Amino acid sequence: MQSRSAVLDAPIVASREVARDMWVISLEAPEIAASVRAGQFVNLGLGGGFLLRRPFSVYRTEGDRVEVILKAVGAGTARLLAIPVGETVSCLGPLGHGFDFGGGVKTAVLVSGGLGVAPMPLAARDARAAGLQVTWVHGARTAAELCSESDGDELIVATDDGSAGFAGTAVAAAPDADLVLACGPNRMLASVAERWPEAQVAVETYMGCGTGVCLGCAVPLTRGGYDRACTEGPVYRAADVDWASLPSHLHYAATV
Amino acid sequence: MTVDLSVAIGELHLRGPVLAASGTFGYGTEVPLLERRALGGMVSKGIFLKPRQGTPPPRIAETPSGMLNAIGLQGPGVEAVIRDYAPQWARWDFPVLVNINGESAAEYGELAARLDGIPGVAGFEINISCPNVEQGGMYFGNDPRAAASVTEAVRRRTRLPVWVKLTPMVSDIGMIARAVEAAGADALSAVNTFVGMSMDLSTYLPRLSFRTGGLSGPAIHPLAVHLAHQAARAVDIPVVGVGGIMTAEDALEFLVAGCRAVQVGTATFVNPTAIAAVNDGIAAFLAGRGFGSLADLPRYLPRD
Repeated sequence: MQSRSAVLDAPIVASREVARDMWVISLEAPEIAASVRAGQFVNLGLGGGFLLRRPFSVYRTEGDRVEVILKAVGAGTARLLAIPVGETVSCLGPLGHGFDFGGGVKTAVLVSGGLGVAPMPLAARDARAAGLQVTWVHGARTAAELCSESDGDELIVATDDGSAGFAGTAVAAAPDADLVLACGPNRMLASVAERWPEAQVAVETYMGCGTGVCLGCAVPLTRGGYDRACTEGPVYRAADVDWASLPSHLHYAATV
Repeated sequence: MTVDLSVAIGELHLRGPVLAASGTFGYGTEVPLLERRALGGMVSKGIFLKPRQGTPPPRIAETPSGMLNAIGLQGPGVEAVIRDYAPQWARWDFPVLVNINGESAAEYGELAARLDGIPGVAGFEINISCPNVEQGGMYFGNDPRAAASVTEAVRRRTRLPVWVKLTPMVSDIGMIARAVEAAGADALSAVNTFVGMSMDLSTYLPRLSFRTGGLSGPAIHPLAVHLAHQAARAVDIPVVGVGGIMTAEDALEFLVAGCRAVQVGTATFVNPTAIAAVNDGIAAFLAGRGFGSLADLPRYLPRD
């Protein structure tokens, strides 16, 4: 998978706000747009004094463009949001191991919390291409933080404060399905793992290189030891992750 | 104009002066988009005799112009390295040195003996400078007697080139350099990461689970150039400079300061083709100054 990754100086071609303080940035990156699969990510070089790249799930593709979604939660994401349309960022990808849609399943439910919408439009695309009936359950703290974009055959929304849709978490609002894909804060994914041990979940970690060499993005496994979110992940079988040992509340977001 | 970039580090002949630094290049099989033509050589991820899990996350934190890491030498152990990686190294057209680690001098010696003679293993870099392990590591590197005993233990078990990677966390790097030279080292790698710490103001806890980590990246470059220079002044064996190299100019500073070669590390995390850029930039610099070979580059190395 990694042998197909490319590093490009990708022009920022557009941006749009899809929820309060939540933005989608569109980059011209033809090789990556052509090959990326749901759940994979790109590693963006920010410049401006930031040393390490920042990982972002690919949100959507549109022709030669890839889109990423972010909130200005830290200095790095603020920097990315401040780069004007027309300038380039170094874009390395696609990276990582994405969602798997095989296995003769008929229905899929996508469960996202907050920025966990990040891999879901591509997941909906690939799931429907695989012939699945897709339900997307989309949760946020409050209505203003719900991403205004969605895909799939059915949409269910949930808010912690009850200001839109189901009053409660996306996990509580979700129906069962043959295939459960989830992304969101790690504490949310831990509850996904309790309800659906076989779910495929995209985890967030700090990352160094994004390419498998630095071992910085260690994900603790229930069988013991660690592997790499950037290479074996970021998508895991929910029951395989030792959730109690995986830090949450990160400064910047890998996949959520 | 073609520039001769080749260099000899003891008996090891490199086609160019830029090597991949240990821990930033895996086992050489992982980096995407790799331009192997530009590699003078590679130092493997640090290994132990036995598999190691490494430290719990978070393992890395970005800091101004640098990064802290505490990976804890996660690795599969020597038998897996011999089985899975050495056969690939044997087919490559540049040497691979294995970065070796132990909790005692005897363990380092055992590891060298096990790897000696394995096709694909061109030499050793003794790691007496890892800041992220509870036993051994840096603690061998800041005592000249311990550093010498580890070096001797390895030297006795192999005829392959033996490099020793020094820690910067010492008050007199020249003293450590002389001790390992006298114990039989063929070259020195200077320097490993600096011990650092960063606090999370939301949790009031260290940002790394190991509490401290090794600082790398451009933040350490002038510190590393100074220490590599101090080491080079102290010994007759070659010194390989390492620390914060992002550009060809950064590498050239080490070379002018008395190093014979350099290692590029953290830059590869940022740019998977950084080594090629550094290598090609050195060639362009030399050509631009009218030098036909790396050996013509002036060096500032007054002797102690």
